[in-house]
Amino acid sequence: MEDNKLNSFSSLHPLVLIVYFVTILVVSMFSTNPVLLFLSLVGGMMFFGMMNSRKAFFTDLAFYIPMFFLIAIINPLFSHNGVTPLFFMNGNPVTLEAILYGGNIALMLMAVVYWCKCYSKIMTTDKFLYLFGKVIPKLSLVLSMALRFIPLFREKHREFRMVQGASGLYDQKGFVNKIMCELKVFSALVTWSLENSVDTASSMKARGYGLKGRTHFSMYKFRKRDGIILAVNLLLFSVVAFGMGGGFVDFSFYPYVTEIETGAVQIVVYISLGVMSLLPFFTELWEVIVWKYSMSKI
Amino acid sequence: MSKKIIKLTILCLVIPLVVVLGVVIFNDRAYSWVYMCVAVLSCIPLFISFEKRKSNTTLLVVLAVMIALSVAGRFIFSFLPHFKPVTAMVVITGIYLGYECGFVCGAFTAVISNFIFGQGPWTPFQMFSWGIIGLIAGLISKYIIDNKILLLIYAGLSGILYSLLMDVWTTFWYDGTFNVLRFFANVATAFPVTVSYVVSNIIFLLVLIKPFGEKLKRLKTKYGI
Repeated sequence: MEDNKLNSFSSLHPLVLIVYFVTILVVSMFSTNPVLLFLSLVGGMMFFGMMNSRKAFFTDLAFYIPMFFLIAIINPLFSHNGVTPLFFMNGNPVTLEAILYGGNIALMLMAVVYWCKCYSKIMTTDKFLYLFGKVIPKLSLVLSMALRFIPLFREKHREFRMVQGASGLYDQKGFVNKIMCELKVFSALVTWSLENSVDTASSMKARGYGLKGRTHFSMYKFRKRDGIILAVNLLLFSVVAFGMGGGFVDFSFYPYVTEIETGAVQIVVYISLGVMSLLPFFTELWEVIVWKYSMSKI
Repeated sequence: MSKKIIKLTILCLVIPLVVVLGVVIFNDRAYSWVYMCVAVLSCIPLFISFEKRKSNTTLLVVLAVMIALSVAGRFIFSFLPHFKPVTAMVVITGIYLGYECGFVCGAFTAVISNFIFGQGPWTPFQMFSWGIIGLIAGLISKYIIDNKILLLIYAGLSGILYSLLMDVWTTFWYDGTFNVLRFFANVATAFPVTVSYVVSNIIFLLVLIKPFGEKLKRLKTKYGI
């Protein structure tokens, strides 16, 4: 059950999940305010940490921390804006603002990468197909068929390789030979799969694909809990979008770094995003509390 | 008729609306927003026209096979970095199954392979770049289907196009604006990758076009797609 640590959030309705990921990604990708980015990063990391073992989490972190500093250091090489030169390199000023801007970009990149990792883990292909199956029936059929063909082709490819290897292919060493052998196997795979696909198509036709009244099977039901979380998410997002659109949380690095404002509006926006990015954490916590409570009643 | 109306509504109304809204809200990162929107929204009319078109079941299944093969090609050749048959497969699909299928093949290869290699903000741009390569191949199929030299020129150009489109994305992504210096630095660092794209596209198309052409033509005459 290592893969399935986060049961509560991933069991939500796919619509709620996609809205959540889109809203949090939009804020993280297109905000320049370091406070917002930091909150989003913390939320993303906690979410990722909840889904993975501690070891996987720290191995990941060991990769991203050097990347963070690398991006911060590289930025001044391309950008000489800013009013606080630290020193000169090849006649170009290396400014404090450019380094801070690089750090901010690195913060944004890390937040987006962490949220995308969570997305990959939570939004499995069956949820993806459920969401888009009704809107784009033909395309989603193509998509789901292609998804099924891939493991099939990999298996067939392995088989062809073994057969060809047994009958003398792959006997010579060298780069060109290796490629030629791979191509031969690939060609066999193509012939087999194209012929096989026509069989599939005639079988589908025989069973009446394309007739009216086709129904879809799905395991997802929109429950009260889904509605509550969707509403909370949209409310918080509209507060953040209002803050960003109204220019309350604008932040710029050039020519000089703006101060982080701490007015009432800004605080509300920061809290909203903080709660929003910790939403998966809170739903998990709620689940644990309910579980403990129910257990205590037995 | 309704297909055209939907297409035009999206192109004329929704795209500018979303772009303007984004520029107002995200004023500092406006350029990345615009580029993102162009990549995502330009896919929609093509997907709709694929959806509305009357197509037979066999074509859908063959298209699924082509997508699966190009994703599988990314695995089979995973021992060689950046040396992949994906673009060649997308171009072949575009030539033999039409421009709409070419676009869908390119876009879906990106989505599906990223389910395995990892989704990220780069997914829409890969969808867009590969999709466009398949689309153009379908549109100019008349000229390149029997002319090997033109075909190989297109193969090389599509490798450069793909690499440049991804470099534009990287530039916007880091700076939020189009920093020319950074763009050229990206192009320069990506140069070996671009070369291997070009070489792999040419080699794979050279080797694959004839057997694939024969196999697909045979399917067409045998089963009447």
